[in-house]
Amino acid sequence: MASETVVPINADVDVVVARQRGRELASELGFVPTDSTLIATAISELARNIVCYAKHGEILIKPVQSGDRVGIAVVARDKGPGIANISLAMQDGFTTSGGLGLGLPGVKRLVDEFHLVSNANSGTTVTIKKWKR
Amino acid sequence: MPETMNKLEDQYAAALLDSIRGIGESALQQAYELGRRALTEGLGVLDMAAMYHKALAAVLSLASTQEERTLMLRAAVSFFVESLSPFEMTHRGFRETNTALRRLNQTLEEESKRIAHALHDEAGQLLASVHLALEEVAGKLPPAREHLEKVKGLLDQIEGQLRRLSHELRPTILDDLGLLPALKFLAEGVAARTGLLITVEGEPEPSLSPLLETTLYRIVQEAFTNVTRHAKASQVSITIHRNPQSVRCSVRDNGVGFDVSTVLARTGGRGLGLIGIRERLNSLGGSFSILSNLGQGTELVITIPHMNPPEA
Repeated sequence: MASETVVPINADVDVVVARQRGRELASELGFVPTDSTLIATAISELARNIVCYAKHGEILIKPVQSGDRVGIAVVARDKGPGIANISLAMQDGFTTSGGLGLGLPGVKRLVDEFHLVSNANSGTTVTIKKWKR
Repeated sequence: MPETMNKLEDQYAAALLDSIRGIGESALQQAYELGRRALTEGLGVLDMAAMYHKALAAVLSLASTQEERTLMLRAAVSFFVESLSPFEMTHRGFRETNTALRRLNQTLEEESKRIAHALHDEAGQLLASVHLALEEVAGKLPPAREHLEKVKGLLDQIEGQLRRLSHELRPTILDDLGLLPALKFLAEGVAARTGLLITVEGEPEPSLSPLLETTLYRIVQEAFTNVTRHAKASQVSITIHRNPQSVRCSVRDNGVGFDVSTVLARTGGRGLGLIGIRERLNSLGGSFSILSNLGQGTELVITIPHMNPPEA
């Protein structure tokens, strides 16, 4: 099975690398093209959050398996200021996206699993999984 | 907006060209960012399609062979899909919200039903017991009978109020007999209270889904409130008509009317309870329009598709 990749995220150009890696892995695993696009979209949103709020971080992309299912896990990690109020951050319209359903709530809707850990001292980690249909 | 659109159009065309020239992921990332910006600046999916169409036509004119054109088209489609993916996120959010809204409405109706039942039956039974107790007191203390009669009169008033409240909260007639009888009953109550002459017309059978009937009932209830508050009308007619795919409900009055665009621009519909109507309708995929002119009455037209929208 394909291996995992870690892409450091420090600027907008790094987002492209992470997206590319996500898309390649999706196609290796046999994801349909629209789902590969959604994975790239989710990576963009996560990476954008790192660049906007934490400045530096990394995105780890790896294949996952559970029983017969294969999928992709993406872990976005940063050591930024953290999210003071997670439930607020998960509400549409909390950030500048203004209720359009972008940002973290948007990412959650694109994937099958979504996990968010954040605190003031250790930054934020978002883990998402999308299974192959 | 046109200026934004023009600027985005130029950037879109340039990025599309990049993507066709094989710039790959970074062009796709740009497509995504452009779509995201278009979304936050208020453009819609159709604007995106138009933008794509224009840019594509320009780009394709650069191709010299059929093969080249085929390759360009393939790259352009990926680009287009990428630029739409932010809209997909929003769309999913919208569907989720609608489902939540529908559930919330159902929960509220259930809650109303429960309170209405408690008011009507349980409080009603308690009052009946008080009547009996008073009767006993009157039997034992004949001189108090006159006072007790007064108390009974007050109790009757309380009972009447409870019954009205209970009915407004959740008309059992809607559950038992369906929409038309419920609307007629509602109309009688409003007519008695306000002196309006109200007619209700429609085909009684077959009945609509309970959710749809409740929605229409609530909207007509809200519309009556509007007519009573604002219209200075003497007559109101309610017509319900079923089409193969949808049900249409019209509430028309002969009141003073108003300039729709001015009032909606000023209040955003807030003062008219239109937000509640819109939210109820949104969750069922329905819509409404208001036809009115100064001095010529007002008509509120509601249209709701029959089939329940698919669960998100």
